Amino acid sequence: MRRSLLATAVVVTALMVQAVVVNRLQLLGTGPDLPVLVVVAFALGAGPSYGALLGFVTGLAADVLPPADHTLGRLALAYAVAGYIAGLVEDVEERSVLTTVAVVAVGSGVAVILYAGVGGLVADHRVTANAVAHSLASTVIYDVVLAPFVVPLIALAARRAEPAA
Amino acid sequence: MLLLTAFTLITLDYRSGGGGPLRSIGNAVFGPVERAANAVAHPIGSFFSSLGNLNSYKSENDRLKKENADLLRRLRLTAADRAHLAAAEKLLHLAGQAQWKIVPARVISFGSSLGFESTATIDVGSRDGIESNQTVICGDGLVGKTLNVGPTTTTILLGNDPDFTAGARMEGTTQNIGHVDGGGRDPMTFTLLGTQARLEVGDRLVTFASEGERPFIPEVPIGHIVRVQPTPGQLYSTGIVAPYVDFNSIDIVGVVVATPRAVKRDSLLPPSPTPSPSVTSASPSPSGSPSQSPSGSPSPTGSP
Repeated sequence: MRRSLLATAVVVTALMVQAVVVNRLQLLGTGPDLPVLVVVAFALGAGPSYGALLGFVTGLAADVLPPADHTLGRLALAYAVAGYIAGLVEDVEERSVLTTVAVVAVGSGVAVILYAGVGGLVADHRVTANAVAHSLASTVIYDVVLAPFVVPLIALAARRAEPAA
Repeated sequence: MLLLTAFTLITLDYRSGGGGPLRSIGNAVFGPVERAANAVAHPIGSFFSSLGNLNSYKSENDRLKKENADLLRRLRLTAADRAHLAAAEKLLHLAGQAQWKIVPARVISFGSSLGFESTATIDVGSRDGIESNQTVICGDGLVGKTLNVGPTTTTILLGNDPDFTAGARMEGTTQNIGHVDGGGRDPMTFTLLGTQARLEVGDRLVTFASEGERPFIPEVPIGHIVRVQPTPGQLYSTGIVAPYVDFNSIDIVGVVVATPRAVKRDSLLPPSPTPSPSVTSASPSPSGSPSQSPSGSPSPTGSP
């Protein structure tokens, strides 16, 4: 319960920071995607079903949050699958830093590819090969760079919120 | 004997009312000596007295440092405020030249949805009179159009979004029209329809009015052509546009809600670097025709 409250607060913060701060920075490439990073970080400690649910809720919020202008549900699907995949790693006994970074990379990459894939299905003209390549490279690289800072913090906070889990 | 001398001096001096020759002798003799002694003793004396004042000097120093930092910070803030003011002035200048009725707004967030979209949120909404499909401008030119309108915020589509397209006209002509399309990560392109005209580097573009001026009003500066792409055998020509607006750094924008007067053609473009063949008026005057009335049922045209 407390972990869910913490997750909600962190997800809302990540969405706000992404819209108001990160998207405004003129970074090389498209910049990091904080919500998916946060979802993966929580899922790493909570399991696949929790990760999928958190991803779905985060993605839906990202879909609805202004100024998004795409078909509702695309980010929900993308983040839910990313959260599920990240949660599958929860049971791994010896989790090194490399594993965590790899999971973050895979999670954000899967989110971008799924979002672009569904975009192709709904004939979104914004999804071109060039755009997908740029977005994939940027999101994965930036999220991997941010992962060593964000994931341990979230893991620590989640453990303190729910020590029994 | 000595007492007598002292009493005599007292009486004499008393009678003469102070001053007198003895005093001036004393001044002349002892004055310079005192001055020399002071020059030596003063630094020593002030050193010792400052030792006693060290604490108050330290606190004074801290206070001055803090005040200095505070003033520097306020100066920096003022630089940011000055930038805001300059942007707002430019916007009002453009709108004032054209006599458009605008609602000024500030950009509060940008949207990127994993880097595919180029949209922004502005802090005005239906309560401020905003409707969807209105032109959004800033002091430099065309920013985009409004999409979804909430009560207090609105989503706008920026000019460099791949879904953005607007009718455009080349400066100095009436027939050479086409459309500009945002390219996302690729540059904005202009497609000139028809084969009569030739697209050249440096040609400047303004918006071409949509039906009922929704979503685009005419005469908003868009940008200029930087490269012409070869289109052999086609009925159109294409060029790369450098927009006047830097979409990543927009801050103060205005939504055009009414255009009471027709704007003189090409009058809103900045002064041309090379003299153009058409007449560009320095002081634009609204044309004689009365205010434009929007068409009864706005139907979508070729360029939405």
